[in-house]
Amino acid sequence: MTAPRLDPPARVLVTKIGLDGHDRGSRIVAAFLRDAGMDVIYTPPWQSIAGVVKLAIEEDVDAIGVSSLATDHLIVPQLVERLREAGLGNIGVVVGGIVPADEQPALLRAGVSAIFGPGASRDEIVQHVAAIAARARAERDADLREVTS
Amino acid sequence: MGAPSLSPEIPPAVAALVDRLRRGEPAALSRCLSLVEQGGALADTICRLASPATGRAVVVGFSGPPGAGKSTLIDAYLAHVRALGRSVAVAAVDPSSPISGGSVLGDRVRMHRHTEDSGVFIRSIASRGHLGGLSENIHRVVDLMDASGRDVIVIETVGAGQSEVEIVEVADVCVVVNAPNLGDDVQAIKAGILEIADVLVVNKADLPLARRTTDQLRAMLSLRARQRDVPVIETVATSGVGIYALAAAIDARSNVSAAQKRANRLRRIRRLIAQSAARRIRDQILALDGPQSDALLFDALEGNCGIAEAVERMLRMIV
Amino acid sequence: MTKEAIQLSLPGFDQDYAQWRADYTRQIGVDRHIVNRSGIEIQPLYTPRDWDGSRYEPDLGFPGQYPYTRGVYPTMHRGRTWSQRQLIGLGTPEDYNARVRQMLAAGATAISFLPCNSGFRGVDCDEVDPLLLGTCGTVSNTVDDMEVALDGVPLGEISTAMNDPSPFTLLAFTLGVAKRRGVAWERISGTSNQSDYLSHFIANHMFYRLSLPGSRRVLTDHVAFCLERLPNWNPVSVVGQHMQQAGATPAETVGFTFSTALQYAEDCVARGIDIDVLLRRFTFFFDISISFFEEIAKFRAARRIWARLARERLGAKNPGSWRFKFHGQTSGVDLTRQQPLNNIARVTTQAMAGILSGLQSMHTDAYDEAVATPTEETARIAVATQNILREEAHLCDVIDPLAGSYYVETLTDQMESEILAVIARIDAAGGMYKAAESGLVQSMIGDSALRYQDKIERGEEKVVGVNCYQLADEESAFRPTERPDPSRMKAHVARFKAFKESRSRGAVYRALAALARAAQDEKDNVFARVVEAAEAGVTHGEIVGCLRKELGFGRPLIVA
Repeated sequence: MTAPRLDPPARVLVTKIGLDGHDRGSRIVAAFLRDAGMDVIYTPPWQSIAGVVKLAIEEDVDAIGVSSLATDHLIVPQLVERLREAGLGNIGVVVGGIVPADEQPALLRAGVSAIFGPGASRDEIVQHVAAIAARARAERDADLREVTS
Repeated sequence: MGAPSLSPEIPPAVAALVDRLRRGEPAALSRCLSLVEQGGALADTICRLASPATGRAVVVGFSGPPGAGKSTLIDAYLAHVRALGRSVAVAAVDPSSPISGGSVLGDRVRMHRHTEDSGVFIRSIASRGHLGGLSENIHRVVDLMDASGRDVIVIETVGAGQSEVEIVEVADVCVVVNAPNLGDDVQAIKAGILEIADVLVVNKADLPLARRTTDQLRAMLSLRARQRDVPVIETVATSGVGIYALAAAIDARSNVSAAQKRANRLRRIRRLIAQSAARRIRDQILALDGPQSDALLFDALEGNCGIAEAVERMLRMIV
Repeated sequence: MTKEAIQLSLPGFDQDYAQWRADYTRQIGVDRHIVNRSGIEIQPLYTPRDWDGSRYEPDLGFPGQYPYTRGVYPTMHRGRTWSQRQLIGLGTPEDYNARVRQMLAAGATAISFLPCNSGFRGVDCDEVDPLLLGTCGTVSNTVDDMEVALDGVPLGEISTAMNDPSPFTLLAFTLGVAKRRGVAWERISGTSNQSDYLSHFIANHMFYRLSLPGSRRVLTDHVAFCLERLPNWNPVSVVGQHMQQAGATPAETVGFTFSTALQYAEDCVARGIDIDVLLRRFTFFFDISISFFEEIAKFRAARRIWARLARERLGAKNPGSWRFKFHGQTSGVDLTRQQPLNNIARVTTQAMAGILSGLQSMHTDAYDEAVATPTEETARIAVATQNILREEAHLCDVIDPLAGSYYVETLTDQMESEILAVIARIDAAGGMYKAAESGLVQSMIGDSALRYQDKIERGEEKVVGVNCYQLADEESAFRPTERPDPSRMKAHVARFKAFKESRSRGAVYRALAALARAAQDEKDNVFARVVEAAEAGVTHGEIVGCLRKELGFGRPLIVA
């Protein structure tokens, strides 16, 4: 079942932390998400974790995609932790790129919602991001839902 | 009378949220911006609650063709404003894809000096197909940022054409940024965008043709009575040259009297109401059904009545 | 581009061709419409109608003769085989040293140094999270580090390629080591492999350190210094690899790369450098994709185009200047994580294309290169691949063996047209520097990348194990990930900190001040001051930091 399009569109951060600078993959994923009707806040590589948290707050993002080649995924758990500390624990974080199979369980345990390798299809990625974005937004809006008038 | 009391329909959660907004919490401002985007009664409520706190901030708009270096210039301007101890909010508007409705918003990262500065709040906004260079509810965005206590509000828009002049309705000061290497001669800069400028900038002034661009702009301005004292400032955004002069020019033009400010804001509110009204009327006309409206449409089609009369009749039908 | 069929007078040709065409159409059913990566339509058959040898002399000529289509030297690989230059980089300088000794023992004839990601970022090892150190390259921040890394490596005899972008501190450290060992700088041979700042700005932001104008200045200084003091060093390697890996088609890649080469040549000539002196030391660095024939045609066309550009457009007089010399690396982008042993077949195919294209030096990827830094075993297989192709398949016995193939010659001509069209487009935009600054190149590449990705998504481009022939339940064939030993890295960082404490502060201060002054003085040579700073014990991070402050931090243009 495809996740419905949010209105206003889902706001998704696509970013890279750590040292690697190859961004062809994240550029392509940003284009996929845009073509699926989402608003993508796109950053270049080498964002600091503190910077990403600030951005997530200001842009009220519904989901975060971290592109990781090399070993940058090793510091994603730190990002997840900081997001939780800032009260953004309900924003799903997905990791895209190359993560060795034996290091994936640790990431998932740390709270990463999904890991997409190079073989992942556009559809897979878009559907998952749409789903976690919808969930995050629904959760955040829950306390204000009583106002109808 | 005393302070306006909260109507009983407003849930405490909403009131609390706006309260936090007014105390300057970034997370609250961010949430309110999202909720206001969703529109509806909730958006109206939030804006109404925030409204008494508006009217302090200076709103500066940055317009100009892509490639002129607007984002880099704003980055430098923000550094200057921060050095003076003022707080800032930035609304960076980017166009949405007309096909998918989505967008890639990449402006904020060019303001890289401020990625960890809590005194700079940056929000990326998709135009969502709205024409005019901004987004449909930019007025509300500005009001909320104002209500959160920010001293300066910066709006960045892609505005190079004649239709991207909406910024003038929102900003206290309009800065139009040009650069000499964009291939177009100054003559090619559409008249509309030039006319709204309170301050003109020639960025990348270290390039050889910069002086010529400056001279051409000054010549064009001297021909327009209303714009004779619009300054043309040369900057090199990457190194900071000219930023002080730019900031001073912006300050001078934002230092208007309280009365003028109020007049500006009344003008903005009037436009907002007009916009909302137009939308409402349009929606109603499109939704109109039944023999009476059918007959009207038929009449108009057959030429039994002119369009002007058709409008009159239609308006009477829906009001 | 469709070429006009050549008129032939071969008796029986037309009838037989018509017969074949009819039989083909009848048997093939629904024919596939095949287009290669550069957008050129590929026919099922090529004949003398497409290429008949009548243009052999102006277009092909002989190896070592203008326009060099068949090879830049008369003997090519039959005389001297290509350099086996495997890229190595991992862990601490000691780790690098151990690996490089192995490679040399296994037959590598040249070495290549890949610095750690922290180095690419322009910082020292004590400035980043230790988890991220040494995972993709070797940490090397001082002359001392380089001395350890190159221990036992005969500097004056072996060619070294430093994969270090501006301001080329790795070379500066190497020169420091040479001085300590008493090896004359004139004997140092190798290449500044990542001197192409425009390609970094456009397509490999990882390697982009200084502002565009700053990079321009430092490159020109670097070239001037090397041409004068290091006669056996190639200071400029114009790189097509990053752009092709970012998604540029093979034809676009050559077009952009040559436009960059023209830009650098212009900049150096404006500095007063003689064009022939410069071009003799120009090298190119390209990826070799698995599009076998397309790559061969690409490189043959490139040789022809470069010869003409160098001679007619740049006005070089020395035939040595007209030669397109290149290092080829098998493209990691074509490798897959799924069923990784398949990558051995892929790398072999790519290497074959490279050899048959007539490259001067080659790096073959290890089969796990898509996922991790190669292990000893996988690195050895990569080198053995080259040895087998040379010794057992005898790919070196004949020079330019595919010449005369109706297909290959037609495709060479077509690639040439595509490449020239790209160069014309960049010219129209005012040259490569302006085209990069404005984002034109980046958006062209982005479009090509998206188009290719779409083809893979739709299954039009097939990748074994990914969108066809997948394993239903794929177990990872990789052994647990090798990471640099954290205790060794920790020890290294501690030693580095101790080094910083123990060196002469006065010398460091003076060297940095001189460097900063040089950056502001057009008449001084920034790279010369970098070399001096390295000798005085200034670290990589300090040198880069100083130049970033003076010349501007490199922020690539993001074209989303």
